[in-house]
Amino acid sequence: MLELRDVVKHFAAPGGEVVCAVDGVSLSIAGGEMVALYGPSGSGKTTLLKLIAALMRPDRGSIRVGDREIATLNGREAAAYRLHEVGFIRQQPDFVPGATAIDNAALKLFDELRRGAARQRVEPLLHQLGLGERLRHTAEQLSTGERQRVLIARALSTEPALLLADEPTGNLDSRRSREVMELLAQLCHERDLATLLVTHDPLVAGYADRALELHDGQLRSYVADATYP
Amino acid sequence: MRLSNVAGLYAMRLRAQLGQELLALIGIAVGVSLLFAALVANTSLTGSFERVSMGVIGDARLQLAARGGAFMPDRIDAVRRLPGVAAAAEVIEVHGEASGPAGRRSIELIGVTPDFAQLRGAMTRGFSYAFIANVRAIGLPTPLADSIGVALGQLVHLDLSGRVADARVAVRLQDSETGGLFTSPIAIAPLRYAQELSGHPGEVSRIFVRPLPGRDAEVSRGLRELAARHADVLPADHDAALFRQASEPTNQSTAMFSVFSAMVGFLFALSAVLLTVPQRRRLVVDLRIEGYGPSTILKVLLFDALALGVLASALGILVGDQFARRLFSAPTFLQMAFPYGSGRIVTFSSVAIAAAGGILASLIAVLGPMVSSLADSDERPAITVRRGAQATVVAAGLALLAAGTAIVVAAPSSAGVAIVGLICLTLAMLLLLPRLLDGIVRGLDLLTQGVRSIVAFLAITDLRDPATRLRSLAVAATGAVAVFGSVALQGAHADLQRGLDRTSADLSSIGDVWVVAPGSANLLATAPFHAPALRPPKDIIDRIAAYRGSFLDIGDRRVFVFGAPRTARRPIPHGQMIDGETVRATRLLRAGGWAVVSSALAHQQGWRVGDRFTLRAPQPISLRISALSTNMGWPPGAIVLNADDYARAWASRDVSALHATLAPGVTQEQGARALRAALGSHTGLDVQTAAQRERDQRVASREGLTRLTQIAALVLVSAMIAMAAAMAGMIWQRRAFLAAMKVEGYGTAELWQSLLLEATVLMGAGCIVGAMFGLLGQSLLSRALTVVTGFPVDYSTALLGAVLSCAAVTASAVAIIAAFGHRAARVPAGSALR
Repeated sequence: MLELRDVVKHFAAPGGEVVCAVDGVSLSIAGGEMVALYGPSGSGKTTLLKLIAALMRPDRGSIRVGDREIATLNGREAAAYRLHEVGFIRQQPDFVPGATAIDNAALKLFDELRRGAARQRVEPLLHQLGLGERLRHTAEQLSTGERQRVLIARALSTEPALLLADEPTGNLDSRRSREVMELLAQLCHERDLATLLVTHDPLVAGYADRALELHDGQLRSYVADATYP
Repeated sequence: MRLSNVAGLYAMRLRAQLGQELLALIGIAVGVSLLFAALVANTSLTGSFERVSMGVIGDARLQLAARGGAFMPDRIDAVRRLPGVAAAAEVIEVHGEASGPAGRRSIELIGVTPDFAQLRGAMTRGFSYAFIANVRAIGLPTPLADSIGVALGQLVHLDLSGRVADARVAVRLQDSETGGLFTSPIAIAPLRYAQELSGHPGEVSRIFVRPLPGRDAEVSRGLRELAARHADVLPADHDAALFRQASEPTNQSTAMFSVFSAMVGFLFALSAVLLTVPQRRRLVVDLRIEGYGPSTILKVLLFDALALGVLASALGILVGDQFARRLFSAPTFLQMAFPYGSGRIVTFSSVAIAAAGGILASLIAVLGPMVSSLADSDERPAITVRRGAQATVVAAGLALLAAGTAIVVAAPSSAGVAIVGLICLTLAMLLLLPRLLDGIVRGLDLLTQGVRSIVAFLAITDLRDPATRLRSLAVAATGAVAVFGSVALQGAHADLQRGLDRTSADLSSIGDVWVVAPGSANLLATAPFHAPALRPPKDIIDRIAAYRGSFLDIGDRRVFVFGAPRTARRPIPHGQMIDGETVRATRLLRAGGWAVVSSALAHQQGWRVGDRFTLRAPQPISLRISALSTNMGWPPGAIVLNADDYARAWASRDVSALHATLAPGVTQEQGARALRAALGSHTGLDVQTAAQRERDQRVASREGLTRLTQIAALVLVSAMIAMAAAMAGMIWQRRAFLAAMKVEGYGTAELWQSLLLEATVLMGAGCIVGAMFGLLGQSLLSRALTVVTGFPVDYSTALLGAVLSCAAVTASAVAIIAAFGHRAARVPAGSALR
């Protein structure tokens, strides 16, 4: 589903030095597979995520989602790709201020559906995520875990083939982290989603089918030294 | 915490939020500057006249005054002989015009004697005894002499009520010598010389008296016996009271505008300060966690507020001073009856009121939103209003709207009631604005439910967000208050202008061609002169008739009294009748013994149509009221009688204009040429066509209302900047959210459009609400002008003005935001993933 081949991304650091954030990364994730990308801060995880989300272009290499080359999309095509084909869950839940849970979940559908229809589309998903009683609550009235689940619903609302998650449990305690990760793993398998999840939490990485480690922009297999639940 | 540490903490935080603090500073400074400029303009207008008045009277406490611009025999010796008189000095005052190589200026020629030194007024301080006693020359304040280009020792040409003369300038008065009189339009001459120049030998205008301590009543009685029924005994400073009354409409309207300006400035500041509320909340929480108590936290917040308030007030006062110097010049139309200059008078109270207003606004803006944070440390939305409280607010708003509307419908019976009505409407608007905005947003939501776009959704949800509600309301309220003030006051101003234009036409059309004493202070033809015998060709001028007019003090009003010729086609201006029938009133006026009185004057005096009253002119006469009219554009009021009754009342055959009625087919210009030829080249009189007089009067009335136009424009521009700045600040803070939306796949164009839609809804809603209430306000003010002051008002709903004000403010602010919003919407999506 997702295939990266020899992807390279350089940045010019202050002082003229060139930093290679992503250095020849090749990676393949199949539908229904969850891959954890593990690595310390500054290892290039977020850059790789941005490249896959078409938020930036690689200097070299190919990024394919299905049969489509992502690395050459222009701005408009990239936006459409993120809107319709990718689900993105971030560490900081970006809620539309003042909007209800159901509207926040339906946000990505407003471009193609009327608002009522968009709400109808996401309502079952919110029920499935345990938010059936919280549909009309605003962000301020939801707990951190509930907010994260709303963001998961938003990410899945367009039925994407690819799900990207950047530290999805970064703000949650361990009990809530477990709940969210169990849910993500279940949805990934149920919906045949190719899921790439970036984390530096071994507990989160343990939920993945496969764990990889990014170190100085280079990818290698991750061997956990922790016992995963 | 030590004060130096509080200041240090403030300086550190200032660096982080300099932009927002600057916006808040500008907002408060705008309000303070307009408030200060209006205060200075008003103080300068009344203060300038009071300086002239006090400069003349010195420490005199009583005066014996001739009536109605006439003169009385000089009875100074008799006055001095009265028991209890400590000092007395006579004066003659003659309106006229002085001209030199560089121009012409209206002046008040004041003739004095050396006895004035005993009254210790500022007027004669710059003169030697010898000058006042003997010299056949005049003294002019230096600015006046410079403006007409006359140097010391040179001749100045004087036109004094139809008499012309050249007088030598023997003294140029300096500021240090005369204080406030320095900027006044006066010329000072020895009494005898002034009497000779004006053609009134042995006559004076008033005699000022300083009684011995405790003997005022006794001296007053003695003066009344001397006056018989032909002159008035008044307090020496009576003219100041008359001027205050005459300038009240100008001052009130300026004050009203300045209050709106201050409100706009405050809302501007509030919007800007609200941008910094999250940072201040965090600071409060941090300080609390670190163990600081409420008093320290309050000290920190107070320092914020005071630093902002003091700096903004200082800036506002500096800018306001420039407005007062350059824009808010004193209206000159009152110079027709009162000599006053262009002096700028800054009083301590003006500075104190403006500074206190600025600091208070800053305290409210900074501390208001922090009250909840001071009570507890939880972060919470800026405003949370319970449903019950919302209902109470709406009920209060509706009640105030009902009260305001009732006052409009019933027509306000006094200036106080009109102001109460205006306050009711303003408060109603501000209280109802949140619900009206909610309604508009709900309507937009319903309309866009079927639209497949994120644009409306983002705009609507942001407008509904409780966390930013207060800030949104402050932006909308800024537009509402500015447009409300502008539409109400500009609409009433336009109604008044139309009314005054009609009055100018009515008054000018009494005659086809006029012969009058020259000078801009003689626009109403109130300067008397001996009528020359004219024999213009009969085929051009059908007939010439006498017109008489002057100002007569009745109570606290200097009333415009004029006697139109019985033969005039329309001796009573037709469009000015308020109560009574024009044809009947005209017939009675021609018959004699009847007068038309302006309604506000009649109301004050308790006179009604049909009543008989005594006109306390130099020779009091009894008249009956045939009808009530407007005030003919003269704020204190007017009385119309026929020219013969006027001559009887003033015991003089002098005229203040000659009316020429043209032969059929003759144009006004042809008539004017014929009259100029008949007058000859050595005349001190001017010939004007009715059209020319109407034009001049229109210009004068417009000039009188210029200050309102200027303030209204400044308020609108301030509101536009305030709203644009507040919205731009809000948008800039939202870049992180916009970046997140881009990660979700939405593009720059959609996000930009949502920002524009939000700005348009917020500002448009505020402006539309302001315009709707403004139309009610216009109706209220126009009715008040008619009923309370008796001004001629031609009411017409200022729909176009309302739409234009609304569109101008909204469009300008949205245009600014469009540029700003586009920049914000171009935030890189990647910045959401750092």
